[in-house]
Amino acid sequence: MKSTENVLEIRNLVKDFPGVRAVNDVSFDIKRNTIHCLVGENGAGKSTLIKILTGAYARTSGRILLNGEEYNSHNTRDAKQKGISTLFQELNVVDQLTVEENLTLGMEDTTFGFLRKTDKINKMIGVLNSIEPSIKPNQLVSSLSVAKKQIVEIAKAVAAESDIIIMDEPTAAISESEIGRLFKIIKGLRDNNVTVIYISHRLDEIFELGDYVTVMRDGKHIETKPVSEIQDRSELIKMMIGKTVFEQYTPREEDCPDTILEVKHLSNHRLNDISFDIHEGEIAGFYGLVGAGKTELARAIYGVDEYEGDIMFKGKKLQLAPDKAIAAGIALVPEERRSQGLFTILTIRGNVPVMNMKKISRNGFINDATERNVTLEYVDKLKIATNSIEKEASKLSGGNQQKVVLSKCLFADADLLMLDEPTRGIDVGAKSEIYSLIRRLSKEGKTIIIFSSELPEVMNICDSIYLLYDGSLKSTLRNSCDVDSENILHIVTGGE
Amino acid sequence: METKQVEKPVQLQTSLLGGKLSDESFITLFMVGVLLLVFAIACLVVPNFYKPQNILNLITNNWFVIILGIGVTFVLITGNFDMSVGGNIALTGVLSVYFCQGFNVSQNALANGLGLPYVVAVGLALLCAMGVGAVNAFFIAKLKVPSIIVTLGTMMLARGAAQVITQGAQRNTSLPDAFGFLGSWGIPGTSIRISVLVMIALIIIAFVFEKKTVFARRIYLIGANPEAARLSGINVSKYLTVLYIISALLAGITGILLASEFKAGVSSRAMGYEFDALVIALLGGVSIAGGFGSVLGMFVGAIILSVVTSAATGMLLSPDWQFILKAVVTFIAIVSQRFALERRKG
Repeated sequence: MKSTENVLEIRNLVKDFPGVRAVNDVSFDIKRNTIHCLVGENGAGKSTLIKILTGAYARTSGRILLNGEEYNSHNTRDAKQKGISTLFQELNVVDQLTVEENLTLGMEDTTFGFLRKTDKINKMIGVLNSIEPSIKPNQLVSSLSVAKKQIVEIAKAVAAESDIIIMDEPTAAISESEIGRLFKIIKGLRDNNVTVIYISHRLDEIFELGDYVTVMRDGKHIETKPVSEIQDRSELIKMMIGKTVFEQYTPREEDCPDTILEVKHLSNHRLNDISFDIHEGEIAGFYGLVGAGKTELARAIYGVDEYEGDIMFKGKKLQLAPDKAIAAGIALVPEERRSQGLFTILTIRGNVPVMNMKKISRNGFINDATERNVTLEYVDKLKIATNSIEKEASKLSGGNQQKVVLSKCLFADADLLMLDEPTRGIDVGAKSEIYSLIRRLSKEGKTIIIFSSELPEVMNICDSIYLLYDGSLKSTLRNSCDVDSENILHIVTGGE
Repeated sequence: METKQVEKPVQLQTSLLGGKLSDESFITLFMVGVLLLVFAIACLVVPNFYKPQNILNLITNNWFVIILGIGVTFVLITGNFDMSVGGNIALTGVLSVYFCQGFNVSQNALANGLGLPYVVAVGLALLCAMGVGAVNAFFIAKLKVPSIIVTLGTMMLARGAAQVITQGAQRNTSLPDAFGFLGSWGIPGTSIRISVLVMIALIIIAFVFEKKTVFARRIYLIGANPEAARLSGINVSKYLTVLYIISALLAGITGILLASEFKAGVSSRAMGYEFDALVIALLGGVSIAGGFGSVLGMFVGAIILSVVTSAATGMLLSPDWQFILKAVVTFIAIVSQRFALERRKG
């Protein structure tokens, strides 16, 4: 049956949740041995569609044909046996085990409960070796980079002889150089009779990688067509949201003369003698690949990690404690939204005011009305999409969760706002809202530092750009309309 | 402290206020339902169970575990344990006796103490109790040792110290007259003694504290996500330190009251109370993972356990079987409560 042209046919697929139709009468085909990209804003229905394919959700109605046969799956394991493997954003590897143990995890061969070495293991190691020879089977997974962990998972999927491998934003957490290698692997998969369903918010990747693209919006299927027939990103963006969103960088009219933050000879286990000045009111951007030291720099300034050297804020030396940094007027939007920024089990109201409790309390007692009003104010100001401020933060979409974290930091009333990967993993619409918010804050006189591994982000909004490579500050430049992005990439990848 | 009122948003989006019950209130109400059910069953099988005096006893007989439950609940909400409270009760009780026993009054070593006035003895004993809490806090908040390990250690340390001071038994002689007052005085004609009044006062204070104060809110934040709490400017170790000292102080108060009630400092007093306090907190819906729970829920949990224990006695069940009955009821109640919460969250 594997001769059919379409590996997957989706017909009139519907998925209802209480009060919302997440997937609305979706029909399209996925051609065999292609890289099929799936795009759409958060909430467009991509994730729900994928979860139906992997068996995490049961569909409400509609049909799915895999290799021309009716397909129905009850869980990810079942889906894998039927030929659909998935690489989730949250990787399914166990850090404390070796690569080999991870490969066979959940499908170990045993005799009376004892592990047995079999051909299966050798086959998997063979697959892994053919994809990425530098990963050794006896290596601990915790010693691998995120990109290499993904490769371990890909090897697992390939060894399971999957017809389809679904990849949910595989490039969200890996560096540019690793992305290139991943793309090579994905193209290799296609040439070896695997169909890849590729989900990403980075539209450039779709042009580089995709054969076909399906656009979804508000749970509906908008369009499926060959990538070669799409003119440029803005056509894709238009399909996704109906309008073009990206503003280009406009140079600042007047200079910012006053220094607000001075960093002198900052070093620690990940940073190497970094010195720079940030001026009051400017938007500064630190750009570098993953592992270049961006997060470590932000954490040092915020007083989370120890360091040598001096960090002066408004002329005073900063102490080594986040509560002291906040009191001095600094707030940080951390890199990991869910584990470092958000209190997921608490409500929106429970999250927004936490960095400035003084403002909603008197003598240590909380004023409920003030607390509610503050929360309403931020829900309104940042357009957080929710039906209630009593909604649990974990139930919001990624973009709205990030807005809650932003609200929290804005309410801290800081003069210096540090944003570490402020738009990672969120959709185009929310991204552009966050950019305009950053511009607005800067106009209000706030100083902003962005730490990002997305060059367009830094080039779109930052007045000055700092390039980091391997814990060192390599270059500083003023943004202008003709910044040489090739040169920047040259520097942050270690070029002189 | 200057408090600036924040401007109200122009259009009040009242629809966003979401009048629905919080998950904590839901669980508390759910457990009140369980309590009524258990109580109804008890009334059917045990004669006179419904009488007001018996109902009052259900509350007053459990004052000690409820007082402990307050501290244990808040510690649990931060995502930590305090297993040292039982041992701390024994130690504080024994010390309160030892400090005020007559100085060099007898040949018998167990009859000799420091001869301090009772008030001073109580104060010193409470300080020692808080010292145990400070030791907990030092290892947990500063050295980041898992709380279950630390507090199991101090539990044995405290009880061990009590045993050394009492030579493995108890001290009950040459006590000043004032010693028995705290534990025995009560509202005439009722079973309400000072200890019960203390429990009621503490429950009210804890309830207001939990619902209204910034301090309590931060306890929930720490339990919900300690890393995010730290990055949001909360000095996590400071809060843990204060909580462990408060929990130890509550154990100390319980120890003083119990010693006074029995006019003795007994080294084996309050064996297993740390587990009772944990069980009633869990029965009341406190999450063992932290960030969720309430003092009121814990109180309801305590009464449920009290109804079951008292009904078991009323049914003339042998004490050997009471444990199994308690275990079954507790297990069913906690499982059904988690199930109800999952369903509600959808």
